[in-house]
Amino acid sequence: MKPLTAKPTFDHFCVPIFLSLALLAGCDSRPAGSIGELENVWGRRGLSDGRLQKPRAIAIDAKDHIYLVDITARIQKFDTQGKFLGRWRTPEHANGRPTGLSIDRHGNVMVADTHYYRVLFYSPEGKLLKTLGGKNGNGAGEFGWVTDVVEDSRGNLYVAEYGEYDRIQKFSQDHKYLLEWGSHGSAPGQFVRPQNMAVDKEDRVWVADACNHRIQVFDTQGKVLKLWGQPGQGVGELYYPYDVDLDGDGHVYVVEYGNHRVQKFTSDGESLGCWGTHGREPGELHNPWALVRDSQGHVFVLDTNNHRVQQVAM
Amino acid sequence: MLSFSLSFDSPWYLALLGLLPLLWWFSFRSLSGLGNYRRWFALMLRSVVMTLVILALAQAQLVRHSDKLTVMFVLDHSLSVPNEPSELMRQYINESIEKQRDNAKADRAGVIVFGRDAAIELPPFDDVQSMPAIESMVDREYSDLAGALKLAQASFPHDTAKRIVVISDGNENVGNAVEQARSLVDAGIGIDVIPMQTEVRGDVAVEKISLPPDVRKGQPFDLRVVLNNTSPDARQRKGRLQIVRRAGDRETTLAEEHVTLSPGKRVFTIREKIDQPEFYTYEARFVPAKVGEDTLPQNNQATTFTHVRGSGQVLLIEDFENKGEYDHLVERLRIMNLEVTVRSSRPDELFADLAQLQPFDTVILANVPREHFSDDQLKMLVANTQNMGSGLIMLGGPNSFGAGGWSNTPIEEAMPVDFQIKSAKVVPVGALAMVMHACEIPNGNHWQKVIAQEALKALGNQDYVGVLHWGNTTGRDEWLWAASTGLIKIGNRRNFMLKRLDTMVPGDMPDFQPSMEMALASFNKLKDAAARHMIIISDGDPSPPSNTVLRKLKTLKVKVTTVGLGVHGMPQILQRIANATGGKHYNVTNPNMLPRIYQKEARQIARPLVFEDKGGMSPQKLFSHEIIQGIEDVLPPITGYVLTNVKSSPLVEVSLLNPKPAGPENRTLLASWTYGLGRAVAFTSDAGKRWTEPWTHWEHYDRLFSQMVRWSMRPVGDTGKFTIATDLQDGKVQVVLTALDKNSDFLNFLNLGGSIVGPDMKPIDLDMKQMAPGRYIGEFPAKDQGSYFVLLSPGPGQAPIRAGVNVPYSDEFRDRETNDPLLKTLATMKPKRGKAGQVIEAKEVPAGVQQHIRQLLSFNPFRHDLPKATRNQDIWPLLAMLACLVFFADVFTRRVHVNFAWVPPLVVALRDKIMRREGAGVEINVMERLRSTKAEVTQSLDQRRAAARFEPAPDTPPAETVAAQTAMPAAAPKPKPAAAPGMPGPKEEDSYTSRLLKAKQKVWENRKRQ
Repeated sequence: MKPLTAKPTFDHFCVPIFLSLALLAGCDSRPAGSIGELENVWGRRGLSDGRLQKPRAIAIDAKDHIYLVDITARIQKFDTQGKFLGRWRTPEHANGRPTGLSIDRHGNVMVADTHYYRVLFYSPEGKLLKTLGGKNGNGAGEFGWVTDVVEDSRGNLYVAEYGEYDRIQKFSQDHKYLLEWGSHGSAPGQFVRPQNMAVDKEDRVWVADACNHRIQVFDTQGKVLKLWGQPGQGVGELYYPYDVDLDGDGHVYVVEYGNHRVQKFTSDGESLGCWGTHGREPGELHNPWALVRDSQGHVFVLDTNNHRVQQVAM
Repeated sequence: MLSFSLSFDSPWYLALLGLLPLLWWFSFRSLSGLGNYRRWFALMLRSVVMTLVILALAQAQLVRHSDKLTVMFVLDHSLSVPNEPSELMRQYINESIEKQRDNAKADRAGVIVFGRDAAIELPPFDDVQSMPAIESMVDREYSDLAGALKLAQASFPHDTAKRIVVISDGNENVGNAVEQARSLVDAGIGIDVIPMQTEVRGDVAVEKISLPPDVRKGQPFDLRVVLNNTSPDARQRKGRLQIVRRAGDRETTLAEEHVTLSPGKRVFTIREKIDQPEFYTYEARFVPAKVGEDTLPQNNQATTFTHVRGSGQVLLIEDFENKGEYDHLVERLRIMNLEVTVRSSRPDELFADLAQLQPFDTVILANVPREHFSDDQLKMLVANTQNMGSGLIMLGGPNSFGAGGWSNTPIEEAMPVDFQIKSAKVVPVGALAMVMHACEIPNGNHWQKVIAQEALKALGNQDYVGVLHWGNTTGRDEWLWAASTGLIKIGNRRNFMLKRLDTMVPGDMPDFQPSMEMALASFNKLKDAAARHMIIISDGDPSPPSNTVLRKLKTLKVKVTTVGLGVHGMPQILQRIANATGGKHYNVTNPNMLPRIYQKEARQIARPLVFEDKGGMSPQKLFSHEIIQGIEDVLPPITGYVLTNVKSSPLVEVSLLNPKPAGPENRTLLASWTYGLGRAVAFTSDAGKRWTEPWTHWEHYDRLFSQMVRWSMRPVGDTGKFTIATDLQDGKVQVVLTALDKNSDFLNFLNLGGSIVGPDMKPIDLDMKQMAPGRYIGEFPAKDQGSYFVLLSPGPGQAPIRAGVNVPYSDEFRDRETNDPLLKTLATMKPKRGKAGQVIEAKEVPAGVQQHIRQLLSFNPFRHDLPKATRNQDIWPLLAMLACLVFFADVFTRRVHVNFAWVPPLVVALRDKIMRREGAGVEINVMERLRSTKAEVTQSLDQRRAAARFEPAPDTPPAETVAAQTAMPAAAPKPKPAAAPGMPGPKEEDSYTSRLLKAKQKVWENRKRQ
């Protein structure tokens, strides 16, 4: 039989193109409301320098140096590409390891030494500069399990804690107790495990009220300014928000321990979309604890149970 | 890091590749109509298809080669290795992993420690790991190097080269390391060894304490003790030799003298006489004059037993928290001429081994809870009855039977009643929720499984149970089973639940509130649960629950017990939860305590098994048993007992039955049966303190309980005509029995039933054979350290003959030097396709630990001289699929002529667009082009139809046909194909079509005719 031949027509290349487009469209398996693109993944499980063992807190300084603390109580310093720059360890960790890290105005690293009821202040090179607290209790300057410490533009410190007394204490820059607010509960202004905080340009304190599944915003005197969030898995809902960060353009980034994702909100709590789902592959998260943004706006998510950091453009 | 190659399972198929030139030969001609480029392209595709098919037939496999290496350090942790070299090797391993492991190649290192068993201390991992201390719990009293090598082999990842570094003194006493090593090298695993240098340092061991076989009451005999001084330097050793005798609770020192021992063995003899029938234990101890002078204190004592029969002995074990509860019973039994020993259930008073039970002919468990006994002690009690013929009585009370947490234990098996009630109508059910949050403590997941399993065992089938944990994948609190209902009845799901517990991996729970709310909701749904209990195990750092949920739990009568383990501070949070709900709080520092806590707490659920009637109920006689002989038919009323379920065995005899509640199978008051060689009795009420107070004044009280005890007791009587001797030699015990009748004549052809219980409480077979008149000999292996008990039954109704032999210590405690030959043999074994291993040892006597380690580090166990790991993957299915795809491309190439004429105009158009200049070409009229295209397509279809109707002449040049077709206007009639010279195409066509027509006409004609 002789071979059939045909002159090429529009159909000859239109069909494959349409098929390809349809296939490409079908390949997008991300859940509805997904935003963000994965840019980089770094970090591996281990104990040697540069490796991570369940990292639980992250901070970034003005030079875009990233600090991580993991359950070996090592504080490790990286660049944004995951290049190891140095490390040190907290003085004691038999009772438990730190779960909060922040950078103060001078570039020093503030460590919420959770199970020793105190805050440690380190130079960027890891030299212990000073300590705040250290005594368990509910008096002024005493702490339960310290979760995070942040600093406002005037150098005042806000220390969050949970346990028997969930509250935030405010200290002057020379560590004098000023005031406190909050207690254990779910009413506005109360907390159940205020896991992390952020301070915006207007010195408002944003609190990830983890076990109430919400975000609360306070002024510097502890007055509730905003409160949003309800428990759930849907877009706009929160499940164990463990960290909150702000981009200065009115966007709020919340990492959800229970939903294994990062969600972007307006400052009034309107969801702009989510990134991440549960899993072990790149682009998937397993119980993330924290996140930071660098000077270029990249989001670094601490993928705790995957022992790594994922960089996302959101 | 990875390289690839191909291998074939059926390589002979590759010979078919030789057919490729034939393919080219035939195809080259047949494809000539495609034009030059398409013909070559089609030819290439056909060749690829054929090659792929042949490769698939040859079962091609992709072989991946890996440069990685895994080194498993196998560290001897048995007691034959002194502490200093063990610590040195731990440091060496840490440094070797840190300094010698090739991080760039992602080499892995792991550590296995071993004694009798082996455990993975560090799993193989491609990063720095260190052992701050050896944490694995292994039986250090033996060395099983072979077992450790086997575990190491199983631990290797598949994609790396493999090496084992054996660090040992080589003194194995279990298994065969050389045999195991052979299978390792066959598998390409290299073996290096580091001999742990031990030397004979001088040691005194009590080799043996022996008694004559025919010890009789009142007759003196010689007791011999053999001491051995193994000092290599002819040095004398000084110390004290103590010989003590234990009978019941009494310990008597028979001799204590200072001795000076020259190297070698020395025998000490003392004269001894037994005046009272009893089970006697003799122990010889050597106490060195200087502490630390003796190398192995473990081999400084030995024991032996003898038994002189007398009156029956009874052991009554009572609850140490309720001492004196059975004083009245004990007093009455003693009045009835029974020798009763009372011990409380405190750990220091309870029996520690089977030997301590041997003086007694029956054991009474008097309202003692299960958690006061270890699993081993339960096995001893059962073996004492089943294999040693002792009696076992369980008396009732709130801590007995199922109410005491004895369900699913060996004791339940030994009793004539089951401790669980099958009918929910009879017994109110309980519900237990367990919250698991111990993932951050060492071995946390292991302990969570153990405690949940223990709790589950203590519950009855009618009870509800549920486990709450933080789901790692779901990211929320969840029930381990029955996600929607939470608490479900155990029923026949017990094994399913145990399996689920085995796979449970709880995550880090952030908050107690949700799990407690879930438990509360589930408890709320249970209308038939009479007892509700919740146990939380945690490191204490989840956010505490609200007071509201605690109040609700308390209102619902759910007691919450909290168990803090490795608490990160603020234990008051867990304490507060327990206090708020009326539960208990435990702060546990030793995880070994956990199972008992969970057994005890689960017992809260078992309380409904107690049936009480304050008005009293009179038990009825059901069966005239020896125990209740002479007792009136109407018994005084009792006010309570523990519900049980009588076993459906014809051996069970229920003598007394309670009148309430419904169901005779659950109302047993007194049941008995024969269990193995012994007898077991269940009396479900107490003996006067709580439920049977009127019985204490009852005239038949003494008769009932004394008859109960006597019936259960091992037969007693003087067995003086039988003499039994045991002798331990080279890991075997020889049992010699001499049997004489009353006239001292030999008893021949006896059918001797023998039973032996080893240190692990497992029975050992003993075959006694008659070797001479009245002389019977049997033998059994006794390699494990501990006591072996022999019970021989000379005949029905006769008292059993008992003896015991003790293996004082394992071979591990013999003073030996390093077994270099064994270790060197291992190192010289050559792995398949690799080099033999190395003996890693210090070249010169090191000055200190660091220098020693430095010298050892001069050898590199991470050297890459072993065959690379390969991994084969079948790719023939992939090749077959690829062949299909390429075949499709081949067909496409031959059938479809793709015209690329549109490319140049497109390029020009794009160029113009980019350069922003007017198009130089002819303006394209889209509609005109569409019309033209339509016409072409119509023409093409016409041609195809025509081609289907008529066969072209075989030798018609296709190129011309194509040219003719393309030159034709769309509406032009299709030209007829030209006939080839010599090949009358139309004729052939006529013959074909005419045949068809003729056939058709013929059919029509036939039809017309019809």
